[in-house]
Amino acid sequence: MRFAQATVAIIFALFVLADGVDPGNFKTCEQSSFCRRSRKVQSAGSKYALIPGTLNTYADSLTADLVNKENHHQFAFKLEALKGSTFRLQIDEKQPLRSRYRVEHALKGQPQAEHIRIQRETDGEIVIISEKNKAVIHGDPFRIDFYENDVLVVSVNAKNWLYFEHLRPKTQEQTPEPAQNENQQEQDAAVETPKAADAIDDPGAWEENFKSHHDSKPYGPEAVALDFSFPAAEVLFGIPEHADSFILKSTSGTDPYRLYNLDVFEYIVDSKMALYGTVPVIYGHGQQRTAGVYWQNAAETWVDIQTSETNVVSSLVNFVSGSRKTPPPAAHFMSESGIVDAFILLGPKPMDTFKQYAALTGTHELPQIFALAYHQSRWNYNDERDVTSVSAKFDEFNIPMDTMWLDIEYTDGKRYFTWDKFKFPQPLTMIKNLTELGRHLVVIIDPHIKRDNSYFFHQECTDRGYYVKTREGNDYEGWCWPGAASYPDFFNPVVREYYASQYALDKFQTVTADVMLWNDMNEPSVFNGPEITAPKDLVHFGNWEHRDVHNLYGHMHLMGTFAGLQQRDPNQRPFILTRAHFAGSQRYAAIWTGDNLADWSHLQHSIKMCLTEAVAGFSFCGADVGGFFGNPDSELLERWYQTGAFLPFFRAHAHIDTKRREPWLFPERTRQVIQNAVLKRYSYLPLWYTAFYELELTGAPVILPLLANYPLDKEAFSVDSQLLVQDRLLVRPVMQQGVSKVDVYFPAIDEKKNGDWWYDVDTYQRQERSGYVSVSVDDNKIPVWQRGGSIVPKKERQRRASTLMLHDPYTLIICLDRQSKASGSLYLDDEKSYDYRQGKRIHVNYKFTNDQLVNHFVGKPKYKTDAWIERIVIAGLEKLPSSASITVNGISQQLEVIQHDQAVVVRKPGVKMDVDFVIKLNYV
Amino acid sequence: MQGLGVSQMVLIALLVALLNLNAGAASEVPRPLGVSLAKASLYQPRAGDNSWTCLDGSRSIPFSQVNDDYCDCADGSDEPGTSACTKGQFHCLNKGHQSVDIPSSQVQDGICDCCDGSDEAQVVGCPNTCLELGAAAAVQRRNEAELHKRGAERRLEMITRGKQLRAEREARRLELEQRRKEQELLRSEKEQLKKTAEALESEAIEIYKEQQREVEAETAQAEQEPQQTRQEASLSFVRYDTNKDGFVEVTELMVDMNLDRDRNGVVTVEEAKFFLDERERVDLDAFVTLAWPRIKPLAMLAEGLFHPPHPPKPETEQAEVTTEAIQPTPPKPSEEQAELAGDEDIEADEEGEEDQYDDEEPDVGVGEASPDVEDVTPPNYDPETQRLIQQANEARNALEEVERSLRDIEQEVREIDDQNNKGYGQTEEWAVHDGQCYNFEDREYVYTLCPFDRASQKSRSGGAETTLGRWENWIGEPKKYSQQKYANGASCWNGPNRSAIINIRCALEPKITAVSEPNRCEYYFEFETPAACDSEAFQADSEKLHDEL
Repeated sequence: MRFAQATVAIIFALFVLADGVDPGNFKTCEQSSFCRRSRKVQSAGSKYALIPGTLNTYADSLTADLVNKENHHQFAFKLEALKGSTFRLQIDEKQPLRSRYRVEHALKGQPQAEHIRIQRETDGEIVIISEKNKAVIHGDPFRIDFYENDVLVVSVNAKNWLYFEHLRPKTQEQTPEPAQNENQQEQDAAVETPKAADAIDDPGAWEENFKSHHDSKPYGPEAVALDFSFPAAEVLFGIPEHADSFILKSTSGTDPYRLYNLDVFEYIVDSKMALYGTVPVIYGHGQQRTAGVYWQNAAETWVDIQTSETNVVSSLVNFVSGSRKTPPPAAHFMSESGIVDAFILLGPKPMDTFKQYAALTGTHELPQIFALAYHQSRWNYNDERDVTSVSAKFDEFNIPMDTMWLDIEYTDGKRYFTWDKFKFPQPLTMIKNLTELGRHLVVIIDPHIKRDNSYFFHQECTDRGYYVKTREGNDYEGWCWPGAASYPDFFNPVVREYYASQYALDKFQTVTADVMLWNDMNEPSVFNGPEITAPKDLVHFGNWEHRDVHNLYGHMHLMGTFAGLQQRDPNQRPFILTRAHFAGSQRYAAIWTGDNLADWSHLQHSIKMCLTEAVAGFSFCGADVGGFFGNPDSELLERWYQTGAFLPFFRAHAHIDTKRREPWLFPERTRQVIQNAVLKRYSYLPLWYTAFYELELTGAPVILPLLANYPLDKEAFSVDSQLLVQDRLLVRPVMQQGVSKVDVYFPAIDEKKNGDWWYDVDTYQRQERSGYVSVSVDDNKIPVWQRGGSIVPKKERQRRASTLMLHDPYTLIICLDRQSKASGSLYLDDEKSYDYRQGKRIHVNYKFTNDQLVNHFVGKPKYKTDAWIERIVIAGLEKLPSSASITVNGISQQLEVIQHDQAVVVRKPGVKMDVDFVIKLNYV
Repeated sequence: MQGLGVSQMVLIALLVALLNLNAGAASEVPRPLGVSLAKASLYQPRAGDNSWTCLDGSRSIPFSQVNDDYCDCADGSDEPGTSACTKGQFHCLNKGHQSVDIPSSQVQDGICDCCDGSDEAQVVGCPNTCLELGAAAAVQRRNEAELHKRGAERRLEMITRGKQLRAEREARRLELEQRRKEQELLRSEKEQLKKTAEALESEAIEIYKEQQREVEAETAQAEQEPQQTRQEASLSFVRYDTNKDGFVEVTELMVDMNLDRDRNGVVTVEEAKFFLDERERVDLDAFVTLAWPRIKPLAMLAEGLFHPPHPPKPETEQAEVTTEAIQPTPPKPSEEQAELAGDEDIEADEEGEEDQYDDEEPDVGVGEASPDVEDVTPPNYDPETQRLIQQANEARNALEEVERSLRDIEQEVREIDDQNNKGYGQTEEWAVHDGQCYNFEDREYVYTLCPFDRASQKSRSGGAETTLGRWENWIGEPKKYSQQKYANGASCWNGPNRSAIINIRCALEPKITAVSEPNRCEYYFEFETPAACDSEAFQADSEKLHDEL
């Protein structure tokens, strides 16, 4: 094996493990000084109070001083109302020794403020009103209750776990002397009180060791922590990225959930360990109310979850008795540095809350169509011939495929922006071979830069001082794929600009504007660093410590790449895949769940993880089909394709040590099952594309957990083996080995257990009741239902790539509800450029009522297209129509109606997409 | 079709035009676009109602719906010229070149797939390149034919030489058979001599022993040992034979957790079979002699009876349990065995699958493996006895020599048979490659192929040679002698054993032209040799191709 050579052998030696990650390589809360300290507050509580007389109110906010009654340190408190039932709460030191880091670039822009008015101000209590929302601020002990339409939905510091370590000078002794420790100002108010409570005697307060790594911690303890209770909620979810259930589990007796972007080798499932991404948004959901909190902090963060693990029985008991016996679910966010900057999202419905979060951090842009189609990747396609022949094989076996991917081996010795001249002597020809077939190429570019003096990029970064620095001011040198490597400081706008310019086609001449990007290893991954990442005492632009900004590093990398791609070809929508991510990264890139394993449990977690990511802004999520590590057998691979076909990002990828697994290398039956799954994906591309447009438009996630659309159904809360595509499809992939049946949960729409009607998309067989139903499956079956009342656009013609389907005709699938009605939207444009933002688009709503289908355009349909409607399928009609007639511009024509399975097909309406029409069913 | 203009209906007009155009232009038989000449007769409207039936018979439609850009037939047969049906086929006539069927998914997708451009609408502007391609293909066929013709001459020489070699082997084999018969006769004779000499010898020793009887009294107990062992064995036989059928089966052993040698919590079939000397079941006798010696140490270990080092016991057999997997070296402590087993790259080649045992062997053998060889100094015999012993020794040596010679003969016969079974092609043309080696260098490695022996790889910067595979068999499909497989090479780190597939093509000189590793640890060699040049077969192939055109 060529690969098992020199450097890589050493790297692998670092992780010789057969059964997944060794958790011992990563910190527990107990091994992390600030987590230990912050968590300790949970037993005694803290004493913070607003200082009377310091309140100032403004049109959209109020400020006051907050004091720690034990050490008398003072803080500046600010509460601001934002548009869309959102409040922003900030707490910083009033006069810190040194500025504390405030997260930048995560929000999509300055949030829009909303007016407030003071309703009441008494001694210990201020009540403010903003639209239909209310915030009640209690002075002592400090606490804020947020009401949505007079229902208490979020309580801040109800548990008194607020913990704010003010910056302090380092004293001679290990334990700082309280008297010396305090700053001179503001002391007069509190001189009489002893300061013993201010001492931080944790041995890790001023320096910390983990394994062989030393963290110098020059600024000492600076943690911030705060608790949020959700009185109207029964379950909590959010805070990706973890390989765990959708509903967050109680952390009582376990470590908290950890948010610290890490490259975890062979991660394990059902775990609260940190993974590659951090999105510190949490939601509390109950039948009547949903609310959220976005904790904007980029430092290492741990989140304790307090929730009663309810089961059906206990929730029934609660329901019957009408009382809540347990305290409301709560989350305790604990961050190593920075300030308290929390956004309170007041809902009231799940979708409102998701949209409130999207209003803050933005959404994915509408991707090019190819990005939503099938991607073929492997570490690595060895050379040009390999790439071309794999592409040709997809045609030979008539399986659609849009994008070939090249992992790190295409580079000249892991020097990004270069090619291996032996394996890839003619990249432009190879790229042309793909693009001529409507396909795309994606290449990887990682942030670690090989320390090689003859490598231009390294030279320039060194000469210009673009690398992240050590505490001593030298270029930090870590170890990654290229061997010794340094890391550009993307926090510096000049570095980002420089980096972006590298993507220009006159710089990176061996690609074309159709070659898109994959940014991996951007946690950043440092093989020889503490916990496989960068040391916390590195120094970034603006003199911030890596500690302050760690979780944003990947985000800043993406900003550089995204700018580069936009500058390279301003009218083409960039596509980037990233592994590390932070709140807001969805504006730049799609994500995948990283280095998973060819195992059924990882297949199951692909849904759980992507659902959590989707409600945290990352709808464009997928998992490596087949599993990155290990060799899937035929059955697992088939099921994985079927599952992946219904996740937004659909890519097969595999580790270099695995066997090849292109579909034709498996028995014919497996190949057919895979082909069917891929074809199914392609047939639904109009739906995916519409959903992504509507995501950009409204912030509504593309895929959803059941509770998003069925908030009243308690039993649906914890269902995370199923997903919804918008409000149109219900998908329950087969994710167990050797089963001939799966249990599918059909959610209830009300307390009386009424459900929507659901139609099997293959047979149009109708499911009329809510609850669990056992459904038979064969190897080819993907259990998917379309909701009665919805209309789904499809394209049922096969092409070798999605880009070649642009002019193909549409099929509309109409599934009727109990009132024989249905509606649904379709969006289309050129599927590639930004012209849609200049209005060159068609967004249309279809409505079916009274045996009649009509369309209504949203705005003027300005995109010119040859596409037309070739077929309309209607399921749920009570009797068979004899014919149909279409009327366009007052002129009517008869259409044939054919019965097909349990549906009827209106043959060939032939009408173009931008034309108003009416189709009426006729009965003799 | 009058309604079309009203609702702005699409491409149909264009398609109908295409249909007509094609019906005229393709001269011979009028037929819908995308239909081959052979199938033209299937696309005729039924007289009277102008209807047409899907080729799968599933339904009838108006003939006007053939190629109307809407899929009516489940088999896609109504849309041979459009992309409307996912299962359809489009026939490119490709006049001047080879006709092909392409999937309907490639029709009207803006990409010219047929060299005559018939799969795309005229606006796409596909050039007709069939004549050029056809001419180029003809040139290539001629060149290949020439190559095969010249190569076939060399192949003839190889065949001659191969047949000659085979004849030599046959002759040699006959000779060996003859010698074997002679040696077998000689062996009976020597056996007789040995028997006589040994009889005399033992008689003399018996006398001598008589005198020693007293001294040896205490060793009597040791002789009873086998008896005792048999008793133990029988007892456990009864215990294991839970279904009382007089046999101990694999499944009966699998319940005994003491036999979980790799301690993974289950006794696998493989593990159980090991104790039954790789049989499915054993009877009492076989159990006593073959199975019990393997089971006993574990049983004793389980009962806590086994305390290494152990006082004298009939342990030689037990020792074999742990050492049989390695070469006939004296038993070693298991740590050394582990080391030996760890050296996979070297050992795996030599020992094939057997070395798996070394990997799996837990250290149950600790301390048991000290060989029970008693260092007894030979007694002082009287001269007559010594002479008889001497004679017996000579008789034994003489017999051994004959047996050795027989073994050598058998070995050579086996080698010849092996060679004959390797399959040197249809007419022995490959025989001359056996014993040859060919090298190929790329940027990092030198690859070697020694046909019928092995494929290997060596770093150009030095280091040991890595076996990529040993000769396995011919695997070409449908032409058996177009592909060879070499398997069971050195095992990969954290992966399978390496293997190599050799693709073979005709050329004038034997050489490797490329080596690749598309799959981790699975190598592909491109090998050229005149042995693959077959003028007649090539001719037949091209004529077949020509007929299809």
